[in-house]
Amino acid sequence: MFDINPTDAAPIWRQIEEGMRRMIALGALKPGDTVPSVRELAQQLRVNPNTVARAYQRLTEHGVFAVRRGEGTFVADEPSQPKKSERNETLRDASSRYAGTAISVGASLGDAVDELNNSYDKLVREHRRKV
Amino acid sequence: MNQAETPAIRIAGMTVRYGRRVAVDAASLEVPRGSVYALLGRNGAGKSSLVRCALGQQRASSGNAQILGEDSWKHRTHLMERVGVVAEEADAPPEMRVEQLAAFCARLYSRWDQKAFDTRASRFGISTRARFGELSKGQKKQVSLALALAAAPDLIVLDDPTLGLDVVARKSLFEEVIAELADRGTTIFLTTHDLAGVESIADRVAIMDGGRIALDEELEALKARFRRIRFSAQPLALEAASFRTTLVKRWGTGTEAVVSNYDDLAFERLRSSATIQSADVSAMTLEEIFIAVAGEGAHS
Repeated sequence: MFDINPTDAAPIWRQIEEGMRRMIALGALKPGDTVPSVRELAQQLRVNPNTVARAYQRLTEHGVFAVRRGEGTFVADEPSQPKKSERNETLRDASSRYAGTAISVGASLGDAVDELNNSYDKLVREHRRKV
Repeated sequence: MNQAETPAIRIAGMTVRYGRRVAVDAASLEVPRGSVYALLGRNGAGKSSLVRCALGQQRASSGNAQILGEDSWKHRTHLMERVGVVAEEADAPPEMRVEQLAAFCARLYSRWDQKAFDTRASRFGISTRARFGELSKGQKKQVSLALALAAAPDLIVLDDPTLGLDVVARKSLFEEVIAELADRGTTIFLTTHDLAGVESIADRVAIMDGGRIALDEELEALKARFRRIRFSAQPLALEAASFRTTLVKRWGTGTEAVVSNYDDLAFERLRSSATIQSADVSAMTLEEIFIAVAGEGAHS
């Protein structure tokens, strides 16, 4: 699936939410696919099931997941993308953290952008391979 | 107050004295039902005394403790049927076989689930024919956990569950705990030194320091308000930005501080103040927060 980092500043439920959205955006999870149960994912990521349930609830509220009674949780037929304003806010938060790290290790803006490009390509490639 | 609202554990103004020494000093805390609650503290901070009194194994000098809405001391005998305890040192007669231990417990607990016990024992790779004294430290803990969970408790208390376990045994222990949470919603109260281990599963943490509860809050809120800040100016700038600090170090002309009321706007004010050329902020792990609150030289 994806990894979470319990020591990160971002809460674990948000990391799970973002992880799931990433899997969908990259095609590793497709509309109609079953998503792992709360119990399964909690054990796999070694996190509190309540935390996974919270992420799933948010994804369902936002129309990314759909729950069919008695059948489980699925990726929605047309999973909604985050609104543009939400997306920009998320990017701004994450990039200000990244910029802070880059400055603290003395990297130039050019080096920081190169590393970002590499990471982006790497994630896309890894997910393509899994599909 | 109905069942769902009474906390799994409630400790109110509890003090425990041994002669003139105060081990627990007016401690209060509440463990919500269905939560994973981690009590952290250095050795000698008073965790064990607090836990023993919470479980009714010992009587507090003053204050009181309730489990599942009932007085821990007065109702200790019948409460034990609803509470599973895994002690720091798992203890049982060494010559007893695992199956005999299970048979013994089966008579004590009305909700005993023999199948759950057998399944766990086999998942742990422990033969029920083995004698308790022949098991490794990790296996003893696993047996102890399997016995506690087979009684289908409403609350499980784990006293430093990963102490002395290797990486594999630790992983399987956490997996069992996670499964129990997912399946039955059992409240889990644990004391631990394994801060990295609980960081991903605790809902709420308390830190004990010198017998007092120094802090008791949701882990997410705790991690949101603590940050390490470094900047190229005197510590005075922190006050100007109204940051509360727990640790402040000087580095030449710069300052490194742990702040306990971080927010982005205050940090922006600090960063943009005239005297500061550079400033950065980093998130803290639970372990780093613990050291900042209960370590040497910390002040709350």
